[in-house]
Amino acid sequence: MRSNLVTCLALPLALPRTPYPPMSAMAEESPTEADALMSAYLDEQLAPEEAAKVEKLLAESPEARAELSGLQNMLKLVKGLPEVVAPPDFYEKVARKIRRRRLFSMEILWMLILPFQVLSVVLILVVAALYMLLHLDNDPSVKLEKDPTVQVPPAEVPPVASASTPPRP
Amino acid sequence: MVWSKVSQVTDPDPSAPPTPRVVDLAAVVEPDEPEPAGPAPDDPSLTPAQREEAAKRAEQDRRDRRLVRRLKEGDERAFQELVQTYQNRIFGLMLRMISNRQEAEDLAQEVFIIVHRAIGTYRGEGRFYTWLYRIASNTCKNRIKYLKSRNFHRSVEIEDSPQAQLPAADGGAIVTFQSQVPGPEATVEGKRMEVIVQRELAALDPEHRLLIVLRDVQGLSYQDIIRITGLQEGTLKSRLHRARVALKERLAPFMR
Repeated sequence: MRSNLVTCLALPLALPRTPYPPMSAMAEESPTEADALMSAYLDEQLAPEEAAKVEKLLAESPEARAELSGLQNMLKLVKGLPEVVAPPDFYEKVARKIRRRRLFSMEILWMLILPFQVLSVVLILVVAALYMLLHLDNDPSVKLEKDPTVQVPPAEVPPVASASTPPRP
Repeated sequence: MVWSKVSQVTDPDPSAPPTPRVVDLAAVVEPDEPEPAGPAPDDPSLTPAQREEAAKRAEQDRRDRRLVRRLKEGDERAFQELVQTYQNRIFGLMLRMISNRQEAEDLAQEVFIIVHRAIGTYRGEGRFYTWLYRIASNTCKNRIKYLKSRNFHRSVEIEDSPQAQLPAADGGAIVTFQSQVPGPEATVEGKRMEVIVQRELAALDPEHRLLIVLRDVQGLSYQDIIRITGLQEGTLKSRLHRARVALKERLAPFMR
């Protein structure tokens, strides 16, 4: 994308910096330098002596002047585009989205850990219940005391127990 | 990657350093070297207008630093002030880049959400707004790449926007784009030109489009654009020129 303007500027401006450049190198580098120079000239970013040099070159080339004028017209149009204004509730929408994402991430976390929490509670209860059952069966000291008022059927009374009962006075 | 392919096709400059391709939260972390300070407001080499501009910018930087410090301390009011300060510029950047109002609004909101999330990574060495713009341009590039990969196309919707109005510099009357075109048919002609400019801008290569929007639409300085895009000065200027020539050629049939 080389314009007439750039072609016009490329050779004279490249020569002082690279006195004997190979042709291929010039073809590659000069337009870039000239492009950069043109940008700076259009934006009024050149030092006065550089700007004067560009103006001198422009004065010698009507084609380059026409192209510069085209660029300036284009820039006038682009710079004249209206500034856009964000909707009045812009901040509220941003804040709402941040809150929603924060809540959503907490909700996701909660949803992820909830089943594990429930599972661990159930597991603890099951282990505790099993332990208690086993412990009650094996430990005689924690057996429930029998109610003496309850009549035990004779057939079920063990003979050893009745023989060892001391006689009443 | 579509983005790098586009860049290779459109940028024949082999000496140019590679622009950042991968965009994630790491991309929004500040660079290590501190940002060079702008011209001091009391610099005698500056013109009065430049001095005023430098003073305004210095004041804005101080204000931003205060707000960022408060935001890091968890003050949501500071975040609100930051959003309200920059929402028009970021929304404007997105709208000019994407050409779709709803998409631009979503993207601009996304940018501020990223800022809110990543403010801890901002060390305050560079200007806040170049950091913000860097996030915005990366977000925008990613979105364009995504839309391109999905073959997404939307028409320019600028003409329908009630907000497409230019607030006057003095905060007074609202001036619209059409009023810059003289003549009795100013309204119609102005709207038509605005749509054409936006449409042709949207047809440019995204990197070219970004440079034109940053420099010519939003009026950022070269130094700021260098900080935002990571380009070298020479590369920036030459690419900008090529972008301008491309846009001029696209607009040429409508300017006659």
